Amino acid sequence: MVDFLRDFIKVLRASDVRISTSETIDAMNVASVVGLEDKILLKESLSQSLAKSLREKEIFEECYENFFKESYMNFSSPDDKKDDNFNDANKDIDSELDQDIFPGEEDLESMYNESDRTALMSSMALASREVGLSQIRLFTQTGMFTRKIFEFMGLEKLNNDIFQASREGNLERENDLKELRERIRLEIRDYVEQQVKLRTSQSGRQLREEALSQVRLSQVDRSDLAIMINIVRKMAKRLVSLHSRRKKKANRGQLDVRSTLRANQGYDGLLFETVWKKTKVNRPKVITLCDVSGSVANVARFFLMFLYSLSEVLPHIRTFAFSNKAGEVTDLFETKDIEEASAETLLLYGGGSTDYGQALIDLEGFIETEIDKKTTLIILGDARSNFGDPRADILKSLQEKSKRVIFLNPEPKGLWGTGDSEMKRFLPYCGKARYCSSLKDLERVVDDLLRMAF
Amino acid sequence: MAKAKLSSTNKSKESIEEIQANFEREGYICNSHIATAIYLSQALEKPILVEGPPGVGKTELAKATSTWMKKPLIRLQCYEGLDEAKALYEWKYGKQLLYTQVLKDKLNDIISDTIGLEESLESLHDFDDIFFSEKFLEPRPLLKAINSNEGSVLLIDEIDKSDDEFEAFLLEILSDYQVSVPEIGTISGKVRPVVFLTSNNTREIGDALKRRCLHLYIPFPDSTLEEKIIISRVPELDKKLRMHLVSFVQNLRELDLKKVPSVSETIDWGKSLVLLNIKTLDPVIVRETLNVLLKFQSDIDTADSEIEALVRVSLNETK
Repeated sequence: MVDFLRDFIKVLRASDVRISTSETIDAMNVASVVGLEDKILLKESLSQSLAKSLREKEIFEECYENFFKESYMNFSSPDDKKDDNFNDANKDIDSELDQDIFPGEEDLESMYNESDRTALMSSMALASREVGLSQIRLFTQTGMFTRKIFEFMGLEKLNNDIFQASREGNLERENDLKELRERIRLEIRDYVEQQVKLRTSQSGRQLREEALSQVRLSQVDRSDLAIMINIVRKMAKRLVSLHSRRKKKANRGQLDVRSTLRANQGYDGLLFETVWKKTKVNRPKVITLCDVSGSVANVARFFLMFLYSLSEVLPHIRTFAFSNKAGEVTDLFETKDIEEASAETLLLYGGGSTDYGQALIDLEGFIETEIDKKTTLIILGDARSNFGDPRADILKSLQEKSKRVIFLNPEPKGLWGTGDSEMKRFLPYCGKARYCSSLKDLERVVDDLLRMAF
Repeated sequence: MAKAKLSSTNKSKESIEEIQANFEREGYICNSHIATAIYLSQALEKPILVEGPPGVGKTELAKATSTWMKKPLIRLQCYEGLDEAKALYEWKYGKQLLYTQVLKDKLNDIISDTIGLEESLESLHDFDDIFFSEKFLEPRPLLKAINSNEGSVLLIDEIDKSDDEFEAFLLEILSDYQVSVPEIGTISGKVRPVVFLTSNNTREIGDALKRRCLHLYIPFPDSTLEEKIIISRVPELDKKLRMHLVSFVQNLRELDLKKVPSVSETIDWGKSLVLLNIKTLDPVIVRETLNVLLKFQSDIDTADSEIEALVRVSLNETK
């Protein structure tokens, strides 16, 4: 039982469910409380002790089905029952299992011919445990593991038998045995392949996620979009939990008598420290202006996604998009889900030729009354304005009114100011200008922003 | 061992069925998932974290458990800014001050026959702890639950509304069922309380807290279960109408709504239909009473155009 649970938890972990040691112990306790006979009950109980969110429950469901599809329980129970010897049927399996320990001595042939599938399966399971099948990570290892398991199960004896039959000239038996060998081999390969699927489908994905988060955003393939969205969400979640609900006690307002008395107990009741009832929650105001023209459209999509996933930490976020004319897309983002909204934004505002001057004029019109000293303005774009007047003077006035202006540019610093890039003219008015081209960069920048507590 | 295991499965199944039956007697209809969670939490002495959309009976579960077990229900409603003074304990400052004033003379007596500051301080030291004893302690829900002699059901409601700090503070209580009061020491209970935590998922609960709990997700009930719930809560409702009503609500949940109708709203709707003495569902009635089910104008507008179709479907489905 311990073995199968440990194995199952390994599969769950590989599928991106976080399970701690204490939860493993819980699962063991749960299994010993409810027993193994009732699979539905066991599944429900394990799900309650291992999968701790709706998403994890879904993954759990899938893993459980896959894991027990090949009636894995049958493999492990004989092992358990070995200590018990509680009926004859199991004794048979026991003796099979005992033989397994000396590979080659068992008779694969009779096992197969008597169509004792359970025995075959359990022998296979034992062999795979012995050769460490659970370590398999890549599908290219399938052949090797198949061979190893087969050898452990007694390939040598079978080969010997075939050799002997051919020497004796018993052609019929030779062919029979050869066919048998082939069938068992296929059987083992199926089993191994299934295990590979179970164990590697997610770990490959993890590798991919890691690679993708470092790749340049503009180079991301469309087919990877789904994975990217996932990464963006994960990063945003991490940042949210790091920075959410930063509060500080206000230093004026109504006196909290109880807390004050308590805080001053150390001073013999003399009130040195005062505690006030009001707590101040930091709610930064953020306005983002996002370039969605052709050259940066791919990057902008992720910028938008990311900033939007962050909307939990930044409840007052307004988003504007532009290529030549700027427009507000905040509503779009509030009512639709992230992917749909960013797609629509690109449709509405994307594709045109970039004009920073016009965009800034429009932006100023939108936010003139709202911008104040608590506002952070974030501009995402490559600052390539097609040789039009970038109207840096508007950025200057916005900078004077706001708390600060941050410019995130997907182009490396060396390219700033080359060709039609107006970055050099914007730079004096940006509190911060950063090169930001991969999700890792983006995460670092946003983390940095949040750390400064707006 | 195998025999023991066999019986342990049977025993668990029996207990789970028993729990389910007990809940049913208390008017709380649940499926085996919920009963399993209760059973496991008792067997492992672990708190249960209950999640699910609003109005599926998370709080109700704790209430039903308390009436069934005949243990008092101690409820702690979480909100932003909840701290340990409100959740755990508080010193009775007024009483402390009053007593020091009243006992002033007595204190004088104690130190009157001492010579020098040091000696009087010494003799005071023997007494000062009386003002920080349990007599001056005002227990709040958590301390009450831990201290109770005959056990209790502790409901920590809407844990997601509280701050991260409070969540961290709960860890000690949930894993060891003990609390430390700096002035007194550690207080641990004689009987472990049955603990429920509920969350609406307005924010993600920390991993540390999740690790200490069993996790139960209660989704919206399927039509059979919901019908059972209606039978138990609104027994006056005509059988046919009940089937129509449940199927209507089930279909309504499929629509793209801001807030889908919860079980408690289905119950309310059933009650209002009984009150209005209505025998069959028709679009006019539904339209008039829709505000019992839907709480947003935009939702009512969305549903409005679909009502005819929904009513027709639910009448057909249950034929």
